[in-house]
Amino acid sequence: MNRYLKIVLIEFSHFSRSPFKITSLIFYVLAVIYGCQNGYALIKKHNDEITSIKSGYKSHIDKMLVQYEEIEQGSIKKPRRDPSVPYWAIWNTPSYAFKYPSPMMVFSLGQSEQYGYYKKVSNWSTTFDNDLAQEIANPERLSIGTLDFNFVLIYLTPILLIIMLFNIGGLERDMNFNKLIYLSNVTKKNWLMARFLFYFILLIILLFSLLSFYGLLSGVFQNEIISFFNLLLLIFIYVLVWFTIFYIINFSGSGSPDQALKMISTWLILCIIIPGAFHQFSSLKHPTNYMTDYLDVSRDQKYAIFELSTDVHQSKLVESFPNLKNTKYAGDTTVDRSIVSKCISALVNELNKKVASQIEKSSEDKNQFIKRYFLFNPVIYFQNKVNAFSKTDYYAYRDYRQHIQSIIDKKINFILEDTWNKVNIKKEKYIQYVEIFE
Amino acid sequence: MLTIILNEWKILVRNRAIVYITILFILSLVSVVWMGVVQNINQKEIQQSAQKHIRSQWDNLKPMNPHRAAHYGSYAFKPISILNSLDDGISAITGNVLKLEGHVQNEIVYSEASQAISLSKFGKLKSSLLLQYMIPLFLIFLAYSSISSEKESGRLKLLVFQGVSFFKLIFSKSISIWFYGLFLLTITISAQTFLGVVNQEILYRIALIFLSYACYYYVIACLTTYFSAYLKDNTSALSSILATWIIWTIFLPRIWGNSVEKFYPLPSRQDFKATMKEDRSKGIDGHNPTDERREKLKNRYLKEYNVDSLKQLPINFDGIVMQEDEEYGNLVWDKHFGSNYAIYKSQKKLYQLSGILNPFASLQSLSMGLCGNDMVHHLDFLEKAEKYRRYLIKELNDKHAFGGSKTGNWKWTVDETFFKSVEGFNYRSPSIYEKIVHYIRDIFFLMTWMFVTTLLLRFNINKNNLL
Repeated sequence: MNRYLKIVLIEFSHFSRSPFKITSLIFYVLAVIYGCQNGYALIKKHNDEITSIKSGYKSHIDKMLVQYEEIEQGSIKKPRRDPSVPYWAIWNTPSYAFKYPSPMMVFSLGQSEQYGYYKKVSNWSTTFDNDLAQEIANPERLSIGTLDFNFVLIYLTPILLIIMLFNIGGLERDMNFNKLIYLSNVTKKNWLMARFLFYFILLIILLFSLLSFYGLLSGVFQNEIISFFNLLLLIFIYVLVWFTIFYIINFSGSGSPDQALKMISTWLILCIIIPGAFHQFSSLKHPTNYMTDYLDVSRDQKYAIFELSTDVHQSKLVESFPNLKNTKYAGDTTVDRSIVSKCISALVNELNKKVASQIEKSSEDKNQFIKRYFLFNPVIYFQNKVNAFSKTDYYAYRDYRQHIQSIIDKKINFILEDTWNKVNIKKEKYIQYVEIFE
Repeated sequence: MLTIILNEWKILVRNRAIVYITILFILSLVSVVWMGVVQNINQKEIQQSAQKHIRSQWDNLKPMNPHRAAHYGSYAFKPISILNSLDDGISAITGNVLKLEGHVQNEIVYSEASQAISLSKFGKLKSSLLLQYMIPLFLIFLAYSSISSEKESGRLKLLVFQGVSFFKLIFSKSISIWFYGLFLLTITISAQTFLGVVNQEILYRIALIFLSYACYYYVIACLTTYFSAYLKDNTSALSSILATWIIWTIFLPRIWGNSVEKFYPLPSRQDFKATMKEDRSKGIDGHNPTDERREKLKNRYLKEYNVDSLKQLPINFDGIVMQEDEEYGNLVWDKHFGSNYAIYKSQKKLYQLSGILNPFASLQSLSMGLCGNDMVHHLDFLEKAEKYRRYLIKELNDKHAFGGSKTGNWKWTVDETFFKSVEGFNYRSPSIYEKIVHYIRDIFFLMTWMFVTTLLLRFNINKNNLL
């Protein structure tokens, strides 16, 4: 046992005498720091943007409160968009849906650059509106990708390992003194393993230390400690998988160039070719959705609803929202166009929800197709796992869309209930709205 | 020199592993091109059917007020470039659907990347993926020991004693490996030519693609041979060229790509919208009857037609106001979208400068540009779609103003005959001749790299390195 421990320690002197390996490790550490720093900067940017939006809508609320006071005191006339009417009061209640960045985002930007993270929500909003588009960014830069920690871990870690490990066992074979080593009462298997162990420990310690530092900086330990430890476990497994692959290559290798060739080919196949092939297959099986169903709802079907008569609108509303039967207006014998027309967005929202669920289903089918082959496409599995821990994956943004939908629904419910109950909105009620949607 | 090249090829052909790998490469390249062509055809059909669907809705609109039709709007679906099967560039990242409507220039939305979980960070398995990553790496493996193993075996001394010049020997070895890259490249390009659609424009582009990759392979072959000749053994040569390859393909594109955004920052969406809204508010508001600027416009028209009230006007003033609103809006969109586009272009130019250090960046930029899938082509689509939007809305506003209705008559409608008379959006991708200016830097840097690596072989290898 002591002999193998000694081999581990001797590997340190091998490593310290190789400027090529040390330089590579320094570059790698810089890449980890650069990647985490990119994540940290994005968290800060998102938080700053959210704060700025919030401060903007506070001034709008103040203006509205003054307007209510003036109307109640009779010092001004009610404007065209009368805020004492529930529809306009809710229209003037600022409600933004934010996707707050998780502190874990420091470790993976994931798909965060593909989606918007704030949205002004009204009763006419949908979860596929134009303003939910990604932040303004250079598409070529997005296509090349950002160097975040996830990228460093998934793609650069194996490259670092290749640089560290390609000549282990190979150099001895290149110089033809490999047999001398086995004469010293060590087996090839254990000798290689002991040497690999040094790099494994070095890398794990390095990664865990850097991650803990950035975790502390971004506040992971206060909010996301379980995700953080899951991430550490995932890193441990991922690094172990690569060590195992490279161990097998070196064990059966016939020299440094042969080992380097096999290692880089394995990296190329696992990290570029297989993911690229699955990317291509998934596009063949599930081509890009041009969202025509959604476009039809947002235009033709919406316009078709507008064309209906007030009577039909009213009966459709009652049919879709049976609670309306218990409202004040339901007891009236005459049809009030001003009440019914303010609730049409509720009917459009039902159509939007239906089509949104179809779109989500088609995306989910594509996801399931990709996931089904994770066993053959393991690198992408790990990549998506890190995104999931960092709440920057497709599902985190699907949840965000659901959150937006819940705000739309809430707004519509208030419009329906309060309009049909003929509620006259005063300052206190407006404040209630503001608090609900805050 | 020719004898050395032929001799090298004979050695290559005798090596069974290389023959098998070559067959594998040929099969992979042809099948990848074929899959790309099939995917292109599928996607094109879907795109065209979406465009037709939207057009038929427009053609069959019920009688409608023209301004309402402007709100109803239309959609432009980003078409697939024909050479998408070679390199899909940024097409998975950018949106595909652009709403064209009155009062606003929208942004393109619904990218493929936003419709599923994250996939490959290096793009789909298109020919470009093999041509940019796999083949250069294979050339490296063929070339790294080309001189060093001759050195180690002592064969080099024998060759020198036979009177072979150092440069001729090294250069011939580089060329023989380069020819191997060209061979695979020719297979890919031929497959694309036979399987895909070909016309004169595509042939120009394909020829330029061939030349770009040929330049890059030349650089790779020469540089690897240089390392092999300059460094003392196989291991050092392989480590150095692999390190260079990793820095070129993995590190530099990302780090430089991120850095250009810091040099030329883009506004946040929130700021972009807020400043546009601010500028927009300074113009006429077509939907606000109490707007001051509308009043001025009204007086101008009353004077022009020599009447006292809007009702006496022989035209519909509402249409005039809407078009005036549009014209002002267009100035605002041009200013703000134009500013973003200018930043994109500056970022691209700065990114292209990385070609000084990294020929891979120049190759990548050229490859997606020549395949019609880079930002230059994307912006061309956006600009043409916006031009169409302006045409569409002007047609509607002019009909509203001069079609025979009177001011305030919002119930006045036009029927499908008019809607059918409005031309649809037909996007024609620009010719490479129009856009080649954007790639001069890339071409220049690739050629410079060719020149520099040739010079390295010619002047930086001497007897001491070799013997």
